[in-house]
Amino acid sequence: MAIRQGLLALLSQGPRYGYQLRSEFEASTGAIWPLNIGQVYTTLSRLERDGLVAPGEQDAQGRVVYTITEAGRAEMERWLSTPVARSDRPRDELVVKLAMAVAAGADPRPVIRAQRTATMRALQELTRAMAGAEGPAQRLVLDSMIFQAEAEQRWLDHCEAVLAASPRTQETPEATRSPEPGSGPSPDEEF
Amino acid sequence: MSFDPVVRLADVTRVHGDGPQAVPALRGVSLDVVAGELVAVMGPSGSGKSTLLNLAGGLDAPTSGEVTVEGAPLSGLSARELAALRRRHVGYVFQDLNLIPSLTAAENVMLPRELDGVRARQARSEAAEILAEIGITEPGRFPDELSGGQRQRVAIARALVGERRLILADEPTGALDTPTGDDVLRLLRTRCDAGAAVLLVTHEPRYAAWADRVVFLRDGEIADSTAAPLESAR
Ligand SMILES: Nc1ncnc2c1ncn2[C@@H]1O[C@H](COP(=O)(O)OP(=O)(O)OP(=O)(O)O)[C@@H](O)[C@H]1O
Ligand SMILES: [Mg+2]
Repeated sequence: MAIRQGLLALLSQGPRYGYQLRSEFEASTGAIWPLNIGQVYTTLSRLERDGLVAPGEQDAQGRVVYTITEAGRAEMERWLSTPVARSDRPRDELVVKLAMAVAAGADPRPVIRAQRTATMRALQELTRAMAGAEGPAQRLVLDSMIFQAEAEQRWLDHCEAVLAASPRTQETPEATRSPEPGSGPSPDEEF
Repeated sequence: MSFDPVVRLADVTRVHGDGPQAVPALRGVSLDVVAGELVAVMGPSGSGKSTLLNLAGGLDAPTSGEVTVEGAPLSGLSARELAALRRRHVGYVFQDLNLIPSLTAAENVMLPRELDGVRARQARSEAAEILAEIGITEPGRFPDELSGGQRQRVAIARALVGERRLILADEPTGALDTPTGDDVLRLLRTRCDAGAAVLLVTHEPRYAAWADRVVFLRDGEIADSTAAPLESAR
């Protein structure tokens, strides 16, 4: 998770209190990634332990201002300049679900259709949220979600077209039966 | 917002050709689009999207079923009445644009208004206004002196000029990059919110998502649809 580096990025703009970091983080990401204040303070104490931030004196209300260190800046720059590996992202349940539907000999097309309608609704909501987005950071986050939903739709269209062209998943009961009993259709052949 | 549909397709079928060569392009499609509503039509190539749009705009007639525009069943109109209704109420953006090569961008946009009987001066100023709105800074250029994206925008301006109640757009974002495509949708959305009914064909989910309702066509039939609009106004 990138909370550490996200907080460092905000601190690179100047010293901040914990509660400020939380609200700025949420404002920048359009609140798609809500942080609780506990997470912020846990992360700050780890950053302090690693020498990436330095706390100031407590003020009258017991609040502490955090400042980024040189090592903290270096860490933030390293993070910004390193591409995210695709394998670091969580597996997509939908992909697994479709692959399993095919492997289990079930008709994947209703899964595709239901998903396409659901994803389109989500995409409509994101598009509406975009109209009310505040600031470039929020727009950028929404854009990313829009492009991801769009990619999913395209992939679903592609799957449907490929499955329609594949004789094994045609509507006739003859064709849906696998040639040898026990050897279910392999996902490789279907996609 | 009125609940009488601006366009209604009632159990519409369209078969191209006959005998063994007959191609059923649409099979029993029913669809209403009310004023202020943007409906997107998606579906694979050959699923009948353009056919649906042409029928909705009276450019083609159904084999069976009825198309009603602004309360007028099209089958009951003479060719002359149909032409008048199309000219006055309907704005089209065609898949292949159909700009007239011997007219400048501005003249292409003026043309439908002049056909409406509007004076040249007014048509010119309306054209200038909408072309500026859509980001065309060289209205005096001919279509072959414009980029694909610019031509696309001129075709859109031509469909939007005048107070069209029904706007039919077949892949209006085809040659555009995403920010420009988003601009086009913003413009369609604005027209819609001002009371037009818009029927948009697109294969891009990104643009379909601007619609109040998305209809998925497959093999000439409506396969799925996102629910009726949650809130009509926003
Ligand atoms: N004038 C015509 N004569 C014969 N067949 C036609 C005619 N126009 C369309 N068709 C057929 O009707 C079907 C639907 O065509 P249509 O143009 O509506 O598809 P579409 O969904 O718009 O496809 P695309 O995404 O490729 O534009 C296709 O099978 C097409 O070949
Ligand atoms: Mg078409």
